[in-house]
Parts: sequence; structure tokens; C-alpha cells
Amino acid sequence: MARTLTRRLIYGLIAVLGVAVLAFLAEFVIPGDPARALAPRAQSAAVLENIRVQLHLNQPLLVQFADYFANLFRGNLGTSYVQRQSVASLILPRLVYTGWLALAGVVAEVVIGGTLGILAALYPRVRAAVNSVNLTLLAMPEFVLGLLLLLIFGFRLHMAPVTGGAGPAQIVLPALTLGLIGAPWYAQIVADQMSDSLSSAYVRTAVAKGLTDRDILRRHVLRNVLSPALTMIGLDLGSYLSGVVTVEVVFGWPGIGLLAVQSLQNLDRPVVMATVIVGAVAVVVFNLIADLLRMYVDPRTKEEPA
Amino acid sequence: MTAAAAGAVPGATPGPAALEVEDLRVRYGELPAVDGASLGVDRGQVVALIGETGSGKSSLALGVARLLPPSAVVTGEVRIAGCDASSMTGREFRLRRADLLGYIAQDAMAALNPVQPVGRQIGELFQLHRGMSRPDARAQAVHELARVRIDRPDLVARRYPHQLSGGMRQRVMIAMAVALSPPLLIADESTTALDVSTQAEILALLGVLKAETGSGILWITHDMGVVAELADWVAVMYAGRIVEQGPVHGIFDHPRHPYTEGLLRTRRDLRSGRPGAPLFQIEGAPPALSAGRSGCAFAPRCPRQTEICAERAPALAPPPEAAADGRLVACHHPVPPGGAP
Repeated sequence: MARTLTRRLIYGLIAVLGVAVLAFLAEFVIPGDPARALAPRAQSAAVLENIRVQLHLNQPLLVQFADYFANLFRGNLGTSYVQRQSVASLILPRLVYTGWLALAGVVAEVVIGGTLGILAALYPRVRAAVNSVNLTLLAMPEFVLGLLLLLIFGFRLHMAPVTGGAGPAQIVLPALTLGLIGAPWYAQIVADQMSDSLSSAYVRTAVAKGLTDRDILRRHVLRNVLSPALTMIGLDLGSYLSGVVTVEVVFGWPGIGLLAVQSLQNLDRPVVMATVIVGAVAVVVFNLIADLLRMYVDPRTKEEPA
Repeated sequence: MTAAAAGAVPGATPGPAALEVEDLRVRYGELPAVDGASLGVDRGQVVALIGETGSGKSSLALGVARLLPPSAVVTGEVRIAGCDASSMTGREFRLRRADLLGYIAQDAMAALNPVQPVGRQIGELFQLHRGMSRPDARAQAVHELARVRIDRPDLVARRYPHQLSGGMRQRVMIAMAVALSPPLLIADESTTALDVSTQAEILALLGVLKAETGSGILWITHDMGVVAELADWVAVMYAGRIVEQGPVHGIFDHPRHPYTEGLLRTRRDLRSGRPGAPLFQIEGAPPALSAGRSGCAFAPRCPRQTEICAERAPALAPPPEAAADGRLVACHHPVPPGGAP
């Protein structure tokens, strides 16, 4: 167990480093001059050159690379070109906002998808209806759904705020958007797993023991359904924490995705790097947590091949 | 004389039979899987229900245990230890079923919940039906594991099914079936998936438990080779009907139904046949399920068939020149006691 954990952590570290290196290199491939982005109206080449020197942009790529990763290992994410403040202090509040949104979104998709999936598995007649709902949601682009929700619940029904901001009232629609977009996947996996489980020999054994339908669901079916759903929850939390760009842009949610887009436009390399690294760490960490939980829920996954 | 009464063996425990089945029918839509079967199992008796795949033997067993999917229509009378199970509502039967019968499935790996320790799965019965607390049920589960001759039952109780061997898992299944000491056990191909030596151990265990508890066992199998090791009585099924039943040695030594005879002859050839010698086979294939058949289902494959066989289905009755051993045969032209001329 400890060995598995250590191995997974090492793999995770390698993955994060790999992503960071690739992201660093990609930033130099992207055309554009950060100095010009910072001072678009600067006339003299001297001013621009001055900025480049300040930002160490005049150094060879290899030196910049070595500097950046040396700092990274010391826990220093650098300073934003644009905001002139440390990237860490810039990104942390954004990360908190995105964290809330990710959490609310995952809760929404698990509740919506799980309910649809359970209904589809229990009532064969509902299954066709659930399938068409799934298909509709899958075919719907995130921004269209988000705008639609804004239009209906915000402008028409006045049930949700349409002004920006980031409070408990403002989180509802973006979370619902994430939930509806993600729900079909959960509905599908829950319905399939649950149908399998309901027709399994161990459920027949439970019937033979005289358990009530409710006890059979509670004690024998749901836990067998939980395990694959957990993996998906882990994947979703990780990827949402790396920024739910579209949804954050549509709803003006001040999360890390919005920051990433703005920084990319400003060629604010340290901030872009940080958002990428934070995202990679989130994916790795939540995957690991999901797998650990899965081992607890389904002991068969504990004995993985060496 | 009912089939149940005919199934009585001398010296059996007095009291109502473990199982009496009267004219049981199982239909899937229009298709009959069991077409009016009557059968009895006494206390302390092992009745082997044999037949090919699709003969309806599992449908009969699952019909008795009310474990068929809702799409199956079951009619007929089922009495377990004198208790009219077929007239009980679903709820009444659910509350009493574990006290009435234990069901031992074929594939224990699939029949045990993969994400629960086996002790908990056994203990569940005592929590549910005996109102025990979880710790008490746990202790009782360990006791039940010891009863099926598992070493270190306290350790095994904490294991998950995938951590046990095939034989151990089957013992756990048996422990679950006998936990509440029901008068009837139904073993549905319970040893088919096991290797030969494990199979022998499980059969021996069933024999011991039968002697200890006095339960009757309805044993569904297609493996003629092991029938004589445990069974007292044999019922042969073909196309949804019981075509012959009688004491195990009577059936094996002097089969009276041409189908039974064919089955046994194939087996004899398999066992003692010289290399290269032709293997006896029953011509043709078992019929598919179909509604509204007249005549004997085996007639098209039967070497002894005549006109009447296609017209009228033979009733299950004592054959002519029968020894008084309770033998019943459904055949217009049974094989004479000395074998086919």
C-alpha cells in the first residue's frame, strides 16, 4: 500500500514536470513579444529593450529555462509581467473560486447524472427518455447551454443574478451548466453499472436471503456502482480545477480559467505557466485521491498487478 | 399416489416432506420451460434432478425458490416442509424464505458480493431474520463458517470473495444456505465449476450437512458421473417434463425410459469405451421450447417410438413389471427391466 502510494506520487511528479516543461517550451513557440504586449504604444526600441532586460527576456532560452525551474523547485512561481505582483498571491484567490465552482459542478453532475442513471436502470421505460436527454446534453456546447440558462433563469425568470460577481447566488448557474454538461457521462455509467448489478448473481443471492428491495439496493447494488463513478469524479475535479474556461468566461466567474485566458492574451508567461502547473497538480492529486477511495470501496482494485 | 409420496424412502425422518411440488409450470411468455412437473424431496434425502441444458431443471429449481425474473410465469403447488409456499404473497415468502430453503448457486464467485467481506454476507441473514446486532451476527457468521469445515473461520470471515479459492467460496455459499437450518436446500449445479477433487470435497460436505441437519436436498446437475455419490433418488428431465424417477441404483442399473437409457449408455461408452470404438449417441437434438406440443417430446429421437407416441403424451406412472421401489416412468413403451432386447 505504502509502496503503491510512493510509486503513484513519483509518477505524478514526473507528469507535472513534463507538463511544465512542455508548457514552457510552448510559450516560446507562440508568436508575440511580451514586452510589446506590456507597452503597446511604446515608440522607442530602447523602452522595449529595457522591459526585456527587466523581465530577463534577453537571456538565451536555456538560461531562462534553468532560472524558471530553479525558482519553481524553491516554490517560487515568479512575478506577473502585467500585475507586478507575485504569481502565487495572484493565483491563490482565483484557485479558491475555481475550487468552489469545481466542487459545486461535480456535485451537480453527480446528483443529476446519478439520478438519471438510477431511474434508467430501475425503470426500463424511463431508459429511452434518459438516453435522449443524454444525447441532447452531449450535443450541446457548454457556452450555448450557459447562455441559455442565463437567458431563462436570469433575464426571463429573474431567479438568478445576471451581473458578474462571485457569491453563493452567482455560483448556481455556472455549476448547473457544468452539472448538465457532465451529467450524461454519469447517467450512462451509473445506468450500465446498476443494470449489471441488478441482474447479477449476487443480487439473486441477496433475494434468496430474503432482503427487501431497499436493502438490496443499499447494501449490495449502490456500492458496486460507486466505484467507477468515483474514478470519474476524481478526473472531473482535477480537470475542472485546472480551469473551466468556457463557463468562467460566460458567467464572468473570477476563477483560474478566466485568469489563464487573460494572461495568455497578455503574454503574461509566468501566470500562464502557473495556471498550467496548478492544473496538472490538481489532475494528479485528485486522480490519486479517487483511486485511494476506490480501493476502499472496492477491495478488488487494491491488488493491482506488480 | 402422488409423486411426493412415491419419493418417500424407508426410514426417512417423519413429518412433512422437505419439498412437495405438484404440477409446476414455468412459462417465459408463451414458451413453457417446465411443463407440469411433480416431485418430492424427503427430509434427509438427496434428489438429483438431471437433464441436458435446456431441459428445464434450473427453471424448476428457480421456480421453487421464486428466483426467476418477473417475466417468468410460475404456476402449480409448492409445499416446503408442509408449508404452502405457492400461496404466499411475495412479502410473506420473502420474510420466511431463508428459513424455508437455502439456495446454493453454481458460480460462487459471481453469487457473492465482490465488495463485502464474506462474514458480513453471512451475518446479514442473522441481522435480518434473527434480529441480531452486527457484532453478534459477525460471531455467528464465524460459527457458520466453522460448520462448513473452514479452517481459521475468524480470518476467512474478514476476506473478500476474490481472496478465497473456488472451493472456499462454494463453502461460503453453502454456509449461507444452511445458516438458518432450512428444511430444504437447492443446489443448482453447485459443483459443476469446480475441479474434480474440490467437487468431491463439496459433495462430501453436503452429505455431512444433510446428515447433521436432516435437510432434504434438491440437487440440479447434468453430470451423471457424480450423481451416485450423493443422491438417493434421481429424477430425469426432458423438454420440461420429468420422464423418469426412482431410486438412484434402480435408475442406473435398470433405466426404463429410453431417454434415460440413452444417457446412461453414452456415459458407459465414454467411461469404458475402447479407443476408436464408436460412441453411442442419442440421435437428433433436444427440441426447442414450443407451446402446444402433443405427444411425447422424445418420440422423434426415440428408437422405441410407435404411432401412439406422437399422438398422446405419456403420463408419469409406475411402469409394468416394476419392482416396488417407487419408480415412475412417462413412456408408452418403457424399456423392459432386463434392458433393451
